[in-house]
Amino acid sequence: MANVITCYKWVIDEKDIRINPDRTVDMSRAQRKISEYDKNAIEAGIRIANRLGARPVGLTFGGPEAKQSLKDALSRGLEAVYWVGHPFAAAADGMVTARVLAAAVQKIGDYNVIVCAEGAGDTYARQVGPRLGALLDLPVITAVCEVEVDGQYLVATRKLEDYVEKVKVSMPAVICVLPEICEAPVPTLKAVLAAGKKPAQELTPQFLGLEEADLAPGISVTGVLGYVMNRKNIILKDGDVAARVKELVAYLKKEGVI
Amino acid sequence: MGGTFVVYSDKPQLVLELIGFCTGAGRKAVALAFDAAVAEECAAKGADKVLFFNSGINLPEAYCQQVAEAITGEGAEGFIVGSTVRGREMAAKVAALLNWPLASDVSRVVAGGGELEIERLTYGGAVVQQEKVRLPAVVTVPPGKFEPSSKPKAGAEVVALSAEPDGRYTLLERTRIERQGADLANADKIVCAGMGFAKKEDLKLAFDLAAVLGAEVACTRSVAEERKWLPPDVYVGISGATVKPRLYLTLGVSGQVQHIVGARDSGLIVAVDVNENAPIFSAADYGIVGDLYEVVPTLIDALKNA
Ligand SMILES: Cc1cc2nc3c(=O)[nH]c(=O)nc-3n(C[C@H](O)[C@H](O)[C@H](O)COP(=O)(O)OP(=O)(O)OC[C@H]3O[C@@H](n4cnc5c(N)ncnc54)[C@H](O)[C@@H]3O)c2cc1C
Repeated sequence: MANVITCYKWVIDEKDIRINPDRTVDMSRAQRKISEYDKNAIEAGIRIANRLGARPVGLTFGGPEAKQSLKDALSRGLEAVYWVGHPFAAAADGMVTARVLAAAVQKIGDYNVIVCAEGAGDTYARQVGPRLGALLDLPVITAVCEVEVDGQYLVATRKLEDYVEKVKVSMPAVICVLPEICEAPVPTLKAVLAAGKKPAQELTPQFLGLEEADLAPGISVTGVLGYVMNRKNIILKDGDVAARVKELVAYLKKEGVI
Repeated sequence: MGGTFVVYSDKPQLVLELIGFCTGAGRKAVALAFDAAVAEECAAKGADKVLFFNSGINLPEAYCQQVAEAITGEGAEGFIVGSTVRGREMAAKVAALLNWPLASDVSRVVAGGGELEIERLTYGGAVVQQEKVRLPAVVTVPPGKFEPSSKPKAGAEVVALSAEPDGRYTLLERTRIERQGADLANADKIVCAGMGFAKKEDLKLAFDLAAVLGAEVACTRSVAEERKWLPPDVYVGISGATVKPRLYLTLGVSGQVQHIVGARDSGLIVAVDVNENAPIFSAADYGIVGDLYEVVPTLIDALKNA
């Protein structure tokens, strides 16, 4: 049975990131999660697979900790999940990630659609999907908000800045979906229990035939700083509502915005 | 410094900004154009050379192979692309074909010899990351980062190339998006409604306040996507609109980073929220801690009399 492969990323939950007063970033207590956008992508992949009578599977590349994502991914309705977990993922850029995913997709084989989210919740670089498509020599449609299957073709609606386009491509193809493609339902208890019995397969870089040169990034991170907003932070909380409003209006006048 | 950068954007104004960047970085700028008028404009406003794909183009992304070949043909050490949906797709595919790294959506880029230093936002805007990118490389740059070039360079030429598109793509339809909501990009003032509103009808308060201020009404993603109270083109944030009004006034918006990143460059940020500890207050110049249902009617009256 042909596969519909959805790629996802196990990211640091941004709400656990602490920015210290000196702008250093503390992620030491952060939990991880499947990138929010990828949750929608997984559901989209399942729906496309149902329409095609194909098997919806997941694929992730990350550090060794990505193993913890497998059960969550499977509980979302995927029938199997493949993962590449290796410490070099921490330094991987989009070029390396796309190479690893391309090698894994070829190993999984027999695919007709590859679904990616438009971007990951951490880097939001929006490059891995189209990059993967080019490496595999497949047509790609990005920024997809609706998709239909038409025989051997995918017909997708994509959202650009000023236009909406309907584009048709032959399968196999890669689509990069926006979160509005469909909702991502919370897994039911039954689905969570069933997830433990579904197959998860590790694909090591060696098994994928990747060499050291393939895994060398072209981009290195030289600094990480918390973003701080330099604002006046004049917060009015005392006195009755009328007094607070009066004070605010006086400030707005002084600032010349009213 | 020498060397050549190839530039492309589907937004003509952005191409000129990218040419401006190349010139500032001491590089030769070779512009790609899929439209004769754009090709002429680039040649007249500072490109050293223009490669015009004369192909009755309807999907520039279907020409990535030819674009990659043209970049190699120019001996370029960089492909600098405007960060739009089309631009990002072209950039990523060409990067893959050339086996070059790609730095996306840079908020700052400085070209040195042999490498680029860039800055970009990660984690929804909570973190600023500095990166070194070894050349040759691809970079996508959002609008408004560089002065558009305007003066012609001596000897600028337009070279027409004919190319066959990738036959696996068919464009079935292209429809201009009719904005259902306000034109936020050009708004002078914006009132932004968040989940602090209990019912759709109550948004009238936001519209009334906007009318008094001469403002447009925007919202958070939750209000647009979960509640569906306002059209999706008026939500602000990392996945929505980026705005830069003189006044950005929020009502019942908690101020999560994914939201506020879209309004960070506003002139003045003002927040109304019941929760004194809501993150919006650390992103605001002025704030009122209070129930919007009490604050807004009072504020409307006070503004009418101001
Ligand atoms: C990957 C990702 C991308 C995202 N992209 C975006 C994006 O582009 N744009 C976006 O907006 N969000 C985005 N979000 C969602 C974002 O994280 C927040 O969940 C969202 O912005 C919250 O919207 P809100 O402030 O309206 O609601 P809430 O966070 O629920 O805040 C409501 C606020 O109203 C206050 N309130 C309640 N009642 C009253 C009252 N009577 N008077 C005054 N105040 C009151 C509460 O104290 C609270 O602060 C994204 C999230 C993720 C994970």
